[in-house]
Amino acid sequence: MVEKYLLLEKGSIALLLGNEAIARAAIEAGVGFAAAYPGTPSTEIVESLAKVAREVGMHVEWSTNEKVAFEAAYAASIAGVRALVAMKHVGLNVASDILMSSAYTGVNSGLLIVSADDPSQHSSQNEQDNRWYGLLSHLPVIEPWCPRNAYSLTKISYEISEKYRLPIILRTTTRLSHTRQPIVYEANAPREVKTRGSFKKDVERYVLVPAHSRKLKEALMKKWAEIREDLGVEPFISIENPGLRKAIVASGISYAHVDEALDLMNMRNDFTLIRVSMPVPLPTKPMKELLSYARRILVVEELDPVVELQLSKIAVEEGASVEVHGKDYVPANFELNLEIVYKSIKAFLGEGPSAPWSGVEPVNLEPPIPPRPPTLCPGCSHRSTFYLARVAASKVGVRDPIYTGDIGCYTLGYLPPFRVQDTSLEMGGSIGVAHGLSLVVENMVIAVIGDSTFYHAGLPPSINVVYNGGRALILVLDNSYTAMTGHQPHPGTGLTATGEEVKKILIEDLLKSMGFKTYVIDPMNVREALGEFVKAYREHLSGQHVAIVSRMKCALEVLRAARARGITLPSYRVTDNCTGCMACVNLLGCPAIIVEEDSQKPQILEEACAGCGLCAYVCPYSAIIVSREGGVGWRELWS
Amino acid sequence: MVLKRFNILIAGVGGQGLLTLGELIGNAAVESGVDVTIAEVHGLSQRGGSVVVHVRLGLGSSPVIPKGAADLVIGLEAIETARYIDYANKESLVVMDSFIWPPPLSKHPSLKQIVSEVSKRVNLFVVEASRIAREELKAVVTANVILLGCSLALSKELYSYISLEAAIKAVKRVFKGKAIEVNEKALIRGYSEGERLGAKRRNAQ
Repeated sequence: MVEKYLLLEKGSIALLLGNEAIARAAIEAGVGFAAAYPGTPSTEIVESLAKVAREVGMHVEWSTNEKVAFEAAYAASIAGVRALVAMKHVGLNVASDILMSSAYTGVNSGLLIVSADDPSQHSSQNEQDNRWYGLLSHLPVIEPWCPRNAYSLTKISYEISEKYRLPIILRTTTRLSHTRQPIVYEANAPREVKTRGSFKKDVERYVLVPAHSRKLKEALMKKWAEIREDLGVEPFISIENPGLRKAIVASGISYAHVDEALDLMNMRNDFTLIRVSMPVPLPTKPMKELLSYARRILVVEELDPVVELQLSKIAVEEGASVEVHGKDYVPANFELNLEIVYKSIKAFLGEGPSAPWSGVEPVNLEPPIPPRPPTLCPGCSHRSTFYLARVAASKVGVRDPIYTGDIGCYTLGYLPPFRVQDTSLEMGGSIGVAHGLSLVVENMVIAVIGDSTFYHAGLPPSINVVYNGGRALILVLDNSYTAMTGHQPHPGTGLTATGEEVKKILIEDLLKSMGFKTYVIDPMNVREALGEFVKAYREHLSGQHVAIVSRMKCALEVLRAARARGITLPSYRVTDNCTGCMACVNLLGCPAIIVEEDSQKPQILEEACAGCGLCAYVCPYSAIIVSREGGVGWRELWS
Repeated sequence: MVLKRFNILIAGVGGQGLLTLGELIGNAAVESGVDVTIAEVHGLSQRGGSVVVHVRLGLGSSPVIPKGAADLVIGLEAIETARYIDYANKESLVVMDSFIWPPPLSKHPSLKQIVSEVSKRVNLFVVEASRIAREELKAVVTANVILLGCSLALSKELYSYISLEAAIKAVKRVFKGKAIEVNEKALIRGYSEGERLGAKRRNAQ
């Protein structure tokens, strides 16, 4: 519903996610160009901009990957258009090459790089602290402490970006990106947004040959020193109760936890409290001042000791007789919260880790509360494809194939009953790893990769398979969307971020052009698809380069379309022919098939069933039948 | 000044409308001029995983409720309510749907076992929200809003932050078109169900 309130007038109050607050601020700042590749927890920034792009007059795109998105936004900025690029933390790894170069050339109109980090790895393969990228690239990192603060710091970031002619990294974390807070709009969206600019040629600035880039490096280091010196002021650094012997320095969202913990302890006035909104580079002046009076300092920051190390270095340079603490009291793993920070401060004070809250005993039952990991949805196309992949392997007599996996909903295929993801490392990794394995192991190696991931990072390794004689079979799961992050369109969808129809770039065309014999299958036609799978596997085993594109729409999109168009989807039920063999339960792990505690037979939850019919196919006793026919046109929704 | 915040933990399964419920309570707070943070905690997938939403009413910015600090737990599903019960303390009110949705391929305790264990620990109200939503309102997705209506009737403290009227106004902010009407009905139906359950409990005591 973000489109309902993102464009309200000055003075309105809207309940915005941190990400939406950044989007609104970008609109107020007159950003004319926004690009991203979706990735949790960053997605909603550009997604909300896309929803209002036409009205605002902004160019908004889902780029094929973060590097491409960065390059596009950077280009807009050097041509005089304010730009924003957003990505999850690991996305900045993909874009790190251009990040480094962009610091050397600098920018013209403001460029904001939003890096949404994911402490606790809620939906990521790691939890890197991207504030290091600021130190690596010599670009300032701004770290807000709540959604309201993200709103105001986003706008200020454009000002400093233009003042120093440098891109600015705005670092959020999952908790900030995904927390809502009421926000009072400080300004209206500008009447006109600058979306056209001009590129002023300057080879000494934009052509990074060594002769040029050495000079640029020196200029960059000069700016770096200036920023460290100039920005030790509000809102980058805020100081409460200066002059005390005990101090807490808190960066980003950690400040919110410290703020509340000190209130709960009734100790707000016992500490000098420094809120750091620019952890990189840590401004020198206010830190020197702090070191002149404080004797024990606790740095509270999420993940790595980025502020702590910089502060410790300043303390050494100053010869200050001070204890700088941080990661000895505050955990370096996973996200912080009020409870953890409360205990850290207590420990710093030498008091026990007691907390003012005491929860009731956890429920301890037999059987215990079962874990509920995310599962493939009812009707998920991946379930059908995984089932086919396994059955086909056994039909052609392949024993123990290795399935290298990738990043997407289908990563859940590592779980029983499928077990068709033996690795999942980084975007596009399935194919590169499959290639290497295929050249050194005896097993058949199948790279399992999603459609959006294929466009993102699957092309170079696919080319490499053919070029270097790899033996990997590539299985692309094409459900028409970047599904895991919320169904953003991609080059195969036929739509842009702003809903314009464009020509589809088909994955099979790309693979064929590289030299793969490519099978396109519809896993909903189980029998036919199985035949094709078997044929493809046999051909692969005979020495050909083979790829399979398994195409079936994401069930969530099908449900949405069915609702919107008033089309009834079929649903299924279990008849008395059921012998309780549990084949459907054990082969498919579908959340719509449940077994009640006092029953020996499965049943289908009608409200959860999407009507894909796979369970009816696998039932050896034909005991699962259609209980409600689908309405006219239901089948087409899936393809 | 020691801040006092009213903490609501919403637990359930992805797809049940937890995020919408959080947004609804948040907008009711905005309507009432109460500050609020709403943290949406969910994992990789769109659906089927365990989800919790932390709603904290009153001044302050730290978004996640400490274990033991939830004043109210709204449970959209029994197993998930039991999973997060340690966010509640002895005084907490827990308003839980009688709906149980076990994860696939799992052995799990029964609804009866869960109700018995949870009610030993907290002030538990079991509401047939999903049944009412499905049978009376013909929209199973409104169970979340029914539970909010119940909670407003059962918790004077919650009501002191947001009234039923504010919640009804919030429905108009959060939903579009036809969904506004059915969710208003769900809220009011939930409120009367909460009044009924509250009276029944008082009579039994």
